[in-house]
Amino acid sequence: MTFLLQTALLARRRILETLRQPIWVFMGMSVPLMYLALFAPLLKPLAGGPGFPGGSVLDVFVPGILALMAFGSGMGAGWIVIGELDSGVIERLRVTPASRLALVLGTVLRDVLMFVVPAALVLVVATPFGFDPHWAGLAILLGLLALLTAACSAGSAALGITLKQIGSLAAVVTGLQLPLTLLAGVLLPLSLGPGWLQGLAHANPMYYAVEAARDLASGTLASATVAEGFAVMGAAALLAIWWSTHAYRRAMA
Amino acid sequence: MRAAVTPGERVAALAVRVTGLRKSFSGRGGRVEALRGVDLSVPAGQIYGFLGPNGAGKTTALRILTTLLRADAGEVVVAGLDVSSHPAAVRRRIGYVGQRGGADIEATGRENLVLQGRLYGMGRHETERRADELIERLDLAAFCRRIARTYSGGQRRRLEVALGIVHRPDVLFLDEPTLGLDPQNRANLWDQLRRLRDTGTTVLLTTHYLDEADQLSDRVAIIDNGLVVAEGPPEELRGRHPAGVTITPRPGSADLAAVAAELGREPLVRGARIDGDTIRVDLDGATTGMAAVFDLLRARGVEVLGVSLREPSLDDVFLHETGRSLRDAGHPATTEAIAS
Repeated sequence: MTFLLQTALLARRRILETLRQPIWVFMGMSVPLMYLALFAPLLKPLAGGPGFPGGSVLDVFVPGILALMAFGSGMGAGWIVIGELDSGVIERLRVTPASRLALVLGTVLRDVLMFVVPAALVLVVATPFGFDPHWAGLAILLGLLALLTAACSAGSAALGITLKQIGSLAAVVTGLQLPLTLLAGVLLPLSLGPGWLQGLAHANPMYYAVEAARDLASGTLASATVAEGFAVMGAAALLAIWWSTHAYRRAMA
Repeated sequence: MRAAVTPGERVAALAVRVTGLRKSFSGRGGRVEALRGVDLSVPAGQIYGFLGPNGAGKTTALRILTTLLRADAGEVVVAGLDVSSHPAAVRRRIGYVGQRGGADIEATGRENLVLQGRLYGMGRHETERRADELIERLDLAAFCRRIARTYSGGQRRRLEVALGIVHRPDVLFLDEPTLGLDPQNRANLWDQLRRLRDTGTTVLLTTHYLDEADQLSDRVAIIDNGLVVAEGPPEELRGRHPAGVTITPRPGSADLAAVAAELGREPLVRGARIDGDTIRVDLDGATTGMAAVFDLLRARGVEVLGVSLREPSLDDVFLHETGRSLRDAGHPATTEAIAS
């Protein structure tokens, strides 16, 4: 009970923080829309070709964009954590009896919200342009990608506490972003690539999320791919949250 | 609210008891021993100062006392509870104001206070009332509904002290609380800490300002190089060292060497010597000693042109114990901070 209340209070603090920075909200919304407006047209000629079976290219492209949004919404957490290490906020909170898990989850919940709301907007905007929505599948898809956001948010916070410096964090996150997103087939399906690339992708947890997301978006709800996606993302989220809680417990500014 | 306690009652209880505290860190240049066997007893209901240069181990000790850091060895009891075996229970009884402050600058002052109270398990209405009480007491009303990012240094520090006492802790810890404050805000904070003490809260602070240790603290522990080198009420520590009196006689009015020798035999005089045209006398207890010195000077017909008195300071204590002046000790950056 206390734990749930603390989590809610800490999430509320984070959400207020976000709402007070309209630029965050604005950029969170506009980046995916720019992908839709500027990148999707490049894919148009590929419709019906390899990797884009039938229908609109958006049916393949939108789930990938959503996964990219889920990744980006979570990965910002580390920057905020480093700011709070420097200003002593984390130290102050660590001297209170507040649950360390609640400290992590407060941020995770905000980041999930900051993914789900713009993502729903992207779906609404994409529909008139030829995206074929299967709403039940999309609802489950948002749930699946929320796990990806949670994993990224908790992981980024743990990295922030461990590295303590914005520069190091930026280097690590940028270094991870390219292989993780490229090897997940976020922008272009991996089926376009050679066998070794597809094999390498299986080592990337995000790959399973994107594969499952494409199934869900096309209305296939009960596939082994979807189950795999949930299993991998659930495990990644749990692992990252455990790591982050552990990092909060022993944080030293 | 806690009932006020009389000074006599306070002395009995200990707010903090530390025995054999050790902590070392592994750094690039090998292991660094930050604390090398610290023993301390902090009586409840007093303002207690840790005085020492940067790198002396004050902050490390404070971080162990506030559950932020684990000790390598030794026993630490805060508010009657062992810190290593009951950290959660200790956290409920203590408040902490860190060197970096810790106010959430993206939230308003009032939001900061209310969240802090709720995290300590206080009910919503109770927290709101307490927040309003602290807003009035620490004079935050004019800005408490603004985002803390916009606060001046003094305003932010007052908010941070309020954050440390929302839940009415038994012991409040502050790490260099007046660092970077202007004299007016500094005096204001001292007053607030005295008021806290007067309502029964034990206040434990680290400082490298001599006057803060001397005038604000009821007791001080002088820490250097991971050890407590002197401990006690500041006036008592100072009192172990002589006051320096410099007397300038009218030239030729007396045989200075003879007078100095005679002064040296006075009971309260530790030593007297000629220094150019002046006589320098080291006195135990300036008030009583001065009278004896002047009686003797008058009896020998010495005509006095000028007198200057230098009372012993905690720096003399530090110098005596460590062979260095507090101003020169520690990290180069500290010396600047002390001078500023």
